[in-house]
Amino acid sequence: MDLNTVKERAGPREFSPADDLPREYREAATRMIEFHANSEIMGAYLERPFIRQAPSIDRKLAFSAKVQDEIGHGQLLYRAAESLGVKTREEMLDDLANGDGKFLNCFHYPLKSWVEIPMISFFVDGAAMRRQATLRRTSWEPYAHAMDKVCFEEGFHVKHGEDILKELMTGSRAEQQRTQEAFEEWWPRIIQFFGPTDDKSTHHDFAASVGLKQQSNDELRDAFLDQYIPKARKHGLEIPDEPRIRERDDGTYAVEEGDLDWDEFFTIAKNDYEPGLGQINGRKQAQEAVQWVRETIEDDATTAGGHAPQAAD
Amino acid sequence: MIWEVFRQEKTGGYHTHCGNVHAPDREMAKQFAAIQHGRRKPTNSLWVVPREEVGEIDSEDVVFGGATDRSYRWATAYNTTGEDAREVVESEDEQATAERQRGDD
Amino acid sequence: MAALENPADLDEREREALETLLKRLADDEFVLAERYTEWQVRAPSLESDLALANNAQDELGHARLWYDVLEDLGFEEQELVYERDPADFRHATLVELPFEEGDWADAVLRSYLYDAAEELRLEALEDSSYPKIADRVGKIQSEEAYHLEHAQNWVERLADGEEGHQRLQDALDRLFPHALTLFEPVDPDVETDIVDLGLRDATLEELGEEWLSIVVPYLESLELELPVSSQVDDDTFEITEEMLPEKRGRDGSHTDAWADLHDELTHTYRDLGRSETTKIMEKPE
Repeated sequence: MDLNTVKERAGPREFSPADDLPREYREAATRMIEFHANSEIMGAYLERPFIRQAPSIDRKLAFSAKVQDEIGHGQLLYRAAESLGVKTREEMLDDLANGDGKFLNCFHYPLKSWVEIPMISFFVDGAAMRRQATLRRTSWEPYAHAMDKVCFEEGFHVKHGEDILKELMTGSRAEQQRTQEAFEEWWPRIIQFFGPTDDKSTHHDFAASVGLKQQSNDELRDAFLDQYIPKARKHGLEIPDEPRIRERDDGTYAVEEGDLDWDEFFTIAKNDYEPGLGQINGRKQAQEAVQWVRETIEDDATTAGGHAPQAAD
Repeated sequence: MIWEVFRQEKTGGYHTHCGNVHAPDREMAKQFAAIQHGRRKPTNSLWVVPREEVGEIDSEDVVFGGATDRSYRWATAYNTTGEDAREVVESEDEQATAERQRGDD
Repeated sequence: MAALENPADLDEREREALETLLKRLADDEFVLAERYTEWQVRAPSLESDLALANNAQDELGHARLWYDVLEDLGFEEQELVYERDPADFRHATLVELPFEEGDWADAVLRSYLYDAAEELRLEALEDSSYPKIADRVGKIQSEEAYHLEHAQNWVERLADGEEGHQRLQDALDRLFPHALTLFEPVDPDVETDIVDLGLRDATLEELGEEWLSIVVPYLESLELELPVSSQVDDDTFEITEEMLPEKRGRDGSHTDAWADLHDELTHTYRDLGRSETTKIMEKPE
């Protein structure tokens, strides 16, 4: 199939591994899904210490289940990416370990305290879910199928995150204050989750033209603000003065992009931001420490598959 | 040799198990499946898989989803404040349906 | 044996026996789960990560069930976990030891040693004279079956390769003495009461011997070396003093790793100055 045909046909769930797709499509889709999968893994990596630090047994259970789900989403997404035939899961995980794999800006920052948990578990997950819901109509069928399962599970994450926020904002004065401080620190990063405005996004046009991406960064960011600014206020959080946010006549919101730190954002995008590098390297070390197990399993798999040389006799 | 057959009704849908065929090899399995399982029901694509390659684990082997309370992993366990995002509501509805179906066993 | 129906009617001896038994059960499951979660986002593959996380949640769910029975005796979760002195925990030292990074052999072998004991212990609780214990055993057993099979699958797979075998042997040398503390008494008199009152129908000695008679031949069949041998010991197994480690867990003596772990897991609770814990689930039936 040539690129023009792809663009003509590009509808929801239109293309599957049975289709012969041009390299441009397969590479763009791989890049996008690999980024998504990497983000699941790095998000889980960031949150995992809080399974231990959760302040009750039920919270610990929910947190363990949530981190488990994120790894499950990584599993689904790497398969969806792998099925494009460009890279194997192992190659993608190795790239992630080596600092070549890219992932969401928010997961490059350190997560230091429980009061920061809702920033990830409610706002970032809420933002992710906004985007993921639109990706159920992506043109790469295996990606859309993965999104069906991810969206099915994700409602638990967002609601659990909101429950933690509610608890903190109805807790002691100190808890409320510290949560507000965490919110102020995280708010600009959360808005940057959706990336730069469409004029500055390098990959948007192509991904949109072949149906991989269903909504632009600007549309998604605005839809997020419309939903989550009222939520934040309901819980007693004050929206910081910067970045400036304008309320339109119809009650929807738009952000003043110039108020955000795009130098930091692009440093992060290149995996050059210091705390993020620490997380990448920490995960790399963990991955390398169990390399011996993967080698053991793979040896077995070759033998059991009957394709090993000794099967000949 | 028996081949399990999975049918996808239309583009973008899931391949779900719909039956099986006897056939000596993969090529003939595909041809037989096309007629036996694709001739009436709406079909966009079929997969064939050797039956002997299928492993099974059933509810006698394992309690799927566990036996102890796991309500913490369902959206329905949490109350929120104000209006929830559309996609959160959808997810919760899907989860509530799945929970009900699990309970119906 | 008369059932001990109403917690309010228990005399001091019955109460102490019940409390001791439940702390043994709950603390083991809780601390093991805590250690298992260290493997989340660190297991050898995404699939094995999901499976071990499942087992961690199972064990934690079981701990929750046992702690809930302790609430019958007037305890609350914060007293049982977040505000309890680490020296008052009654788990075996097997479950508190930290994992060396990447030591998957330890994870699966520890799971095997523990789950084999757990199976025997649960059997001995099926007819407990405290009805709530007997009622909860079935649910727990149905989840534990998966754990034991999962552990054995991995142990056998690793034992098959040269590196895996060596790592299993190293883990076994380290873990075996601590596994024996699963059968150590909190207090010998109270342990006698637990059996005399019908709370559990096997003594620790019986459980320990039966466990040895299962795990020793199994591990020997994988060509792993143990400090006891099924050849020499002539079908009878006994846990002797020199086989045990210095710290026994049950009696309140713990390795340093436990104090660190307890400190970490109570960090948020202390940092936020909490005085109670959040429940998400309804109280178990």
